[in-house]
Amino acid sequence: MKFSRRFAIALLAGAATMAVMAAVAAAPAHAVDGQTMIITGEDYTKWLWGNQHTDGSVYNFTTVPGEGYGDNGQGTEIDLLIASHPSKNVEVTGRIQSRFNQNQWTNYAGFGGRNPALENPPAGPCLGGACGEFDPRSNEYIKLRGLTARFTPGFKWLDAATIGSTDLGMFDPYTIGKIRYIDRDNAKAVLFQGPVFTRKVTYDLIRVSLPRLFAGPNFNTGTYAGQDGAYGLQLKVTPSSFFDATGILERVRDLEVSATDTGNNALDNGRSLASRFKNDVYGAKFGIHPSSKFDFRGLYYYSTADANPKYDTPTSFGLSGFSPALAGKVSDPLYKANVDLNDPFGVGLSFNVEYFNIGAQYTSILAARREVDVLLTEGHDGAWVFPGPDNSAFGVFAGNPTRIGYGGWEGPAQQVATLSVDNEFTDFEEPMAETVIGWKGITVAPNWTLGDLDLSGEYTRIDYNTNWQAWGDASRGITDSIYPNFESDAGVSSYRNAYAPFQDKKTNIAILRGKYLLNVGKGVDVFGKVKYIGETDKRMNDARFLPYQAGDCPGGGAACHNNTNNYSAGHSSADLYTNPPVITVNGITGYQWKPFDSLSDDDRDLNYKLFQLGAGYQLTGNLYGSVTYERYNVDLKDGNTAFQAYNLHSMASGTNDKNKLILYAHYTFGAAEFGANYEYNWGTFTPDFGGGFVTQYADAGIAHDFGVPVGSPGFKGRFGGWNSLDKRDFKQNRMKVFMKVRF
Amino acid sequence: MSESFWKMGVLTAATGLLLAGSALAQSGASFKDPTGDDNGPGTYTYPTDGVYKRGSFDMTAFDVKVNGKKVDFAVTFNTSLEDPWRMGGGFSVQMVFIAIKTGEGGFKDGPPGTNVTFADGNEWNKLVILSPQGPGKVKSEVDAKMPGAQGAAVLIPTRVKGSGQTISGSVDLDQLGGGDPSKWGYQVLVQSNEGFPDGKDLLTRKVNEYEGQHRFGGGTDTDCDPHVMDILAPPGKGGADEVAAQHEMLKYTCNPDGTRKSGGVLKMVYANK
Repeated sequence: MKFSRRFAIALLAGAATMAVMAAVAAAPAHAVDGQTMIITGEDYTKWLWGNQHTDGSVYNFTTVPGEGYGDNGQGTEIDLLIASHPSKNVEVTGRIQSRFNQNQWTNYAGFGGRNPALENPPAGPCLGGACGEFDPRSNEYIKLRGLTARFTPGFKWLDAATIGSTDLGMFDPYTIGKIRYIDRDNAKAVLFQGPVFTRKVTYDLIRVSLPRLFAGPNFNTGTYAGQDGAYGLQLKVTPSSFFDATGILERVRDLEVSATDTGNNALDNGRSLASRFKNDVYGAKFGIHPSSKFDFRGLYYYSTADANPKYDTPTSFGLSGFSPALAGKVSDPLYKANVDLNDPFGVGLSFNVEYFNIGAQYTSILAARREVDVLLTEGHDGAWVFPGPDNSAFGVFAGNPTRIGYGGWEGPAQQVATLSVDNEFTDFEEPMAETVIGWKGITVAPNWTLGDLDLSGEYTRIDYNTNWQAWGDASRGITDSIYPNFESDAGVSSYRNAYAPFQDKKTNIAILRGKYLLNVGKGVDVFGKVKYIGETDKRMNDARFLPYQAGDCPGGGAACHNNTNNYSAGHSSADLYTNPPVITVNGITGYQWKPFDSLSDDDRDLNYKLFQLGAGYQLTGNLYGSVTYERYNVDLKDGNTAFQAYNLHSMASGTNDKNKLILYAHYTFGAAEFGANYEYNWGTFTPDFGGGFVTQYADAGIAHDFGVPVGSPGFKGRFGGWNSLDKRDFKQNRMKVFMKVRF
Repeated sequence: MSESFWKMGVLTAATGLLLAGSALAQSGASFKDPTGDDNGPGTYTYPTDGVYKRGSFDMTAFDVKVNGKKVDFAVTFNTSLEDPWRMGGGFSVQMVFIAIKTGEGGFKDGPPGTNVTFADGNEWNKLVILSPQGPGKVKSEVDAKMPGAQGAAVLIPTRVKGSGQTISGSVDLDQLGGGDPSKWGYQVLVQSNEGFPDGKDLLTRKVNEYEGQHRFGGGTDTDCDPHVMDILAPPGKGGADEVAAQHEMLKYTCNPDGTRKSGGVLKMVYANK
């Protein structure tokens, strides 16, 4: 293994040096005089307004600790794009950009403010520009974003050598995908591209430096990062227009200085390295294209990952962990097949069919995290983000309000094949990404063009490779999982949750979409959609996993006996679902929550309907506007008070009626573009948490912490959090306006 | 209440379906184009980014239909259209110029960035642009980058959509000067929608010597080469001989200073010739 790594590094380093030297030698000498450097740029300004009245940064959403989010503020970015051809065979492009972050206009370029370096004790994170000029995020700093040199030496075996920034778009989203973390070209790499013998076979060979910010267990790459990298080789074969194939090999190595190479003057002969995290993916994809009416594509990848616990990687994520990689050694495949039937009957009716199967342990740490859609299905909707009815996570505890707000994001989710799904630093009108790790199923998607009417739809059936009991390994405890489950699978939806301790889930999605051009004036675009999601999850489906022995809680005001039921030696789900105490409220004595004594206590049953109708019109040559109305009727049974949303989240069992009104306008004025998106979200949540417990009433402290009226009904859960039994009314207004001027 | 709401929704959708069946076009012209000729003069290759799917610039059919007072244009490709850049119209990477000879005279220069010209007697009088960009954006580019008379002859459909494998848009027959579209000459230039075009290019993607992540390859690094991936070739029936005819029209030679020496001269194609 060591040999392979060193060999790969040596090969790439040698090839890079040779190629660049050869290119320089081969290129005719060109005087720099007369070369042209082109500088263009963009002024991007946005205005955010919303009635949540948060102003931590000029982005609507983040979950990154220490970063701010907000729905109010104004910000301006500059992006300078530089391009030059210093000689025929060399091209250099670069980008220098500032960031919105906490640079609201009210900062006046960030003078003054708190200086966190002088604070003892620390006064907490810098949010909303509070640290002024002492924090780069609020002093209008400008950073190098992308710098790339591209060499085209004209060799038969090398088309181009690229050194520097890249968005990795030449590979695919399952292996090395486009990585956007605020910018799309933060990745730095050495890339070689060219033919092998003939142009019917081409290669892409890359060495990418591993992003220390997130590409490893627990979202980091350890303490030694200088040599961390990913190596990718892609061979594309196109023997004819009938057939093409691609083989891909990816190796990721997160290295640390060996913990055992100490003492005995170890530094005298250099230090050994050890692997903190290894991730290999290999596989192939192919396409068969016999005619323009029929197309078949398939792909198969197999991944292995190995997190070394000697170097600060977790051996367990407890019940709720956050990590893009699993603990220990894991492996799984990902495979997919697509058939396209393009208008086979000559009447404008086409069909796309996709089978997909993504292993529960499939891992590619550099897979695309957003802005791609690896599955044909529309999946879930951005309006439902996190477990709480208000899109909050861990909202059962005080101090965890929703971030994106009740309205969530607009539109359907995009699917990505990674746990590292990323929606950070986005605004509400951007698409939300959701993980599809563990999904398997089939989608049939017809589309039919009938003159000015376009009809399309889909039926998707999803089963899950993560349907298991006790995390799929009954030899371990319920709170001892190798799987990070982020915000868990409670509520209507949760975009980055792939795992649950107990799961027996099936999903059906049916959609009918229509677009029609109404011949009125310049033509009115009328569009609409009806969507249904039916999802059932029995979660715990075997009585041997019940937490306590039958009859443990006799009722009638009698305390539970607490005789646990072990599903394996020393392990019981009572670690998660503890018995309730007996309480008396207003003369009523009973359990504080329902004892978990039935397999139906955690059952989930989602009945989800979306109706959308909208119209758009080109008001003038430069101005387009549209109005969209969406209504969501969601009936959700998500366990009862015995389940308590894993004790961590706001319970979401009940009826949701959510409405969304969207007004959109886009205006072009020469080199400038303006856009405006206004949303009004309103609706209700009527809780139904079942029976079997004594209702409590909010005191002044609960009222303060959870924003409920004093005396309103609810119950306290296992960790003391509060779930209100009141009907909740929601109203969220928000708007984003932007201006882009290219110069 | 919820039940009645859903009944109303289904009823509305059904009514929309019934309304839809009516619009059928009456007359026009149809052309076929061979598959696998999305290589310009025979050497061009796609950019390396994954969004440029096989067949994305391979035109297989071009249809013109008179629909009341409007003329519908539809260009079909050898792939299902996708909208990876969320342009909103059902497609992202393609852009199509439809040059039309409606009468005498016209313009010899192709749209800025395509580096083609039209042969004597094949000049275009009207140019329809099917772009995923909004009409306001395209119009501002035309105003900035095309001479006044040429720009005035450009027509930008209010609505351009990509559905299945076909990009379509409509303009008023009056804007085309009236007449019988079935008798006009057409040339279709398949290009790629470039959001960050070179200074003088009209939202077009460049062809370089070697393909890049967002650049076509197989040409030159100067503007000597025609920057189009696929065009119509006479007789527009989709025969294998049209591949050679396309390559012949797009064949080019360059001067030592990188300027065009010869080639890149297009002819119109007629449905009834």
